[in-house]
Amino acid sequence: MSATAMETYSRRAVAAPSARRRLSTSPRWTTLAKGAGVFAIVMIYIPLVWLAVMSFTANPLAGIPYPLTFQNYATLFADARWRPPLYTSLLMSAGVAVVCMALSTLVGRALTRMARPGASLLLVLMPLFVPGLTMGAALFIFLRTMLNLTLGMWSIFLAQLVWALPFCILLVLVVASRFDLRLLDAAEDLGASPWRRFWDIEMPILRPGILGAGIFGFLLSFNELPRSLFVRGIETTMPIYNWAMAASQQSQVPIIFSLTTILLAVTLPVMGAFFWVLFVKLDKN
Amino acid sequence: MSSSTTFADAPAAARSAPPILEIVNAVHAYDGVVALDNVSVSAAPGEFLTILGESGSGKTTLLRLISGLEKPYRVGTLKLEGVDVREVPAFQRNCTTVFQNYALFPHMTVGANVEYGLKVRGVPPKDREARAREALRLVQLQEMYDRKVHQLSGGQRQRVALARALVPRPAILLLDEPLGALDEKLRVDMQVELMQLHKQLGMTFIYITHSQEEALTMSDRIILMRKGKIEQAGPPAEIFDSPISSFAAKFMGVDNCFEGELVAVSDGWASVAVGERRIDGRWTGKSAPQPGAKVAVGMRAEWLQLSDAPPDASGEHNVLDCVAEASIYKGKYLDRTVKTALGPLKARIWDAASSARHPSFVRWKKGDCIVMNA
Repeated sequence: MSATAMETYSRRAVAAPSARRRLSTSPRWTTLAKGAGVFAIVMIYIPLVWLAVMSFTANPLAGIPYPLTFQNYATLFADARWRPPLYTSLLMSAGVAVVCMALSTLVGRALTRMARPGASLLLVLMPLFVPGLTMGAALFIFLRTMLNLTLGMWSIFLAQLVWALPFCILLVLVVASRFDLRLLDAAEDLGASPWRRFWDIEMPILRPGILGAGIFGFLLSFNELPRSLFVRGIETTMPIYNWAMAASQQSQVPIIFSLTTILLAVTLPVMGAFFWVLFVKLDKN
Repeated sequence: MSSSTTFADAPAAARSAPPILEIVNAVHAYDGVVALDNVSVSAAPGEFLTILGESGSGKTTLLRLISGLEKPYRVGTLKLEGVDVREVPAFQRNCTTVFQNYALFPHMTVGANVEYGLKVRGVPPKDREARAREALRLVQLQEMYDRKVHQLSGGQRQRVALARALVPRPAILLLDEPLGALDEKLRVDMQVELMQLHKQLGMTFIYITHSQEEALTMSDRIILMRKGKIEQAGPPAEIFDSPISSFAAKFMGVDNCFEGELVAVSDGWASVAVGERRIDGRWTGKSAPQPGAKVAVGMRAEWLQLSDAPPDASGEHNVLDCVAEASIYKGKYLDRTVKTALGPLKARIWDAASSARHPSFVRWKKGDCIVMNA
């Protein structure tokens, strides 16, 4: 390489990173990023806010936020038909959350102790990529047609568990993969029995992941529709009820607006508080 | 200096009492790689025993075998305080470890960490706290009881780990390269503190290190390990002055080592042919081999004397003519390399001003020359 070529080469090598730096700190990029962010947030929240506003109007389907009224809420509370599905869903989701916490802790711990977890990890996470309707249909054919079982609560529970578990395992894995197994050696060395080692050392350190798994397990189960539809038998969960009501052109539609608004108003602050405690407050300690 | 072992005699009490630790013929392997190959070790109560070796020599495996965190593939005897513990799990053994990485529990305060060994033994909270504070005072961290672990410096974490291991009052304290991660100044301070603690508590310490300097400073006895076997065991001065092999010699910092052929050996003195030259020295190896066998010759740099005039042929010295080469200034001393018929030799000169500027001869006492197994 000639001296000149070398010089140009080195100059270019120096120039390239500074150009890139200029690009990445350019105010235009920042503006664009901010704009896109605002757009995304607006697109997420406007429909939600619109739903809430509409729940207070006389004729929600007309799309005009006038006249304002509490009539829909009155109708909702006078009606009792939506309550059993709500209780079913609450109970079901709580169950799924508890089982998810236990199973994802077991699986997460086992995976992080394996010499080569790659294949097992893939198998465990695969259900994430199976479309909901496919999974629902597959479960239906397997349980109903092949095994000839009577579908009901248990099959909804199973379908929701299959759906929520991979997410929960991911959440536990995030914490478990950073867990230093040598701490357990230290505890054992100091005289802690296997149960105490888990309870005193491993559990508290994995706790954010396990609680996160519980929250997500609950939410995923509470919102699950496509799989439940297939394996519901004659049971009805909240999403199935809402979907059936919203899909049929009935006079019941307005109370769905009220119902979803109430659910939203309760869920969002509770989840927000939960996450704040979990990841901000506990993290500081 | 070269011939004395008087300063390092083991304490009289240590020899008469029954051993607090007894391992006979321990064998262990990881994935087909032998980590321990028929190792037998015993320790007397109150002894400061150092296991010295490079990484991969099996010293940490040996420690984990004592603590119970590793179950040996095969072992003849494994006794702690005279009790067979081969089938006793780690959490029921009366020994604790200071880990190399400290392994402090990150979600607990310093106090809770130190108390943990008592908590699992069901000691009531008040006694726990009193004993933990006492242990923290012992390592000069009495103010840190309520701190979080992540607020501590490396040296402080080390002390917390030490306090945590001391609090259950184990029969044996195991230390796995505890000073490895500290900077030099702190390390030297901690060496002195550990020795004082050992004296004060009268506990048996088994200390693992790869630093010969740490081993020599602190121990009553050193076990030098090599590839899963014990190369040599003895008091520091013995290992320092009389290494039995070239491996032991190099590990103990003998700067000049050569291979040669044994010419004659008698009365603890050996004569060796290195190339054309004949070197005489003390035989420090195990059983003396037949003349003609390959042996190693070693001499420390500080035992070599350089001069520009031919020294008197008194018969007490080995003498070689030499050509001066590089010299490296080290502050307290000067390291000079000279070329000789044996090859390059390193000489350490403490008084640079009065030493020969262009030395042409190098000599060293025959008593300061060691001959050992290759």
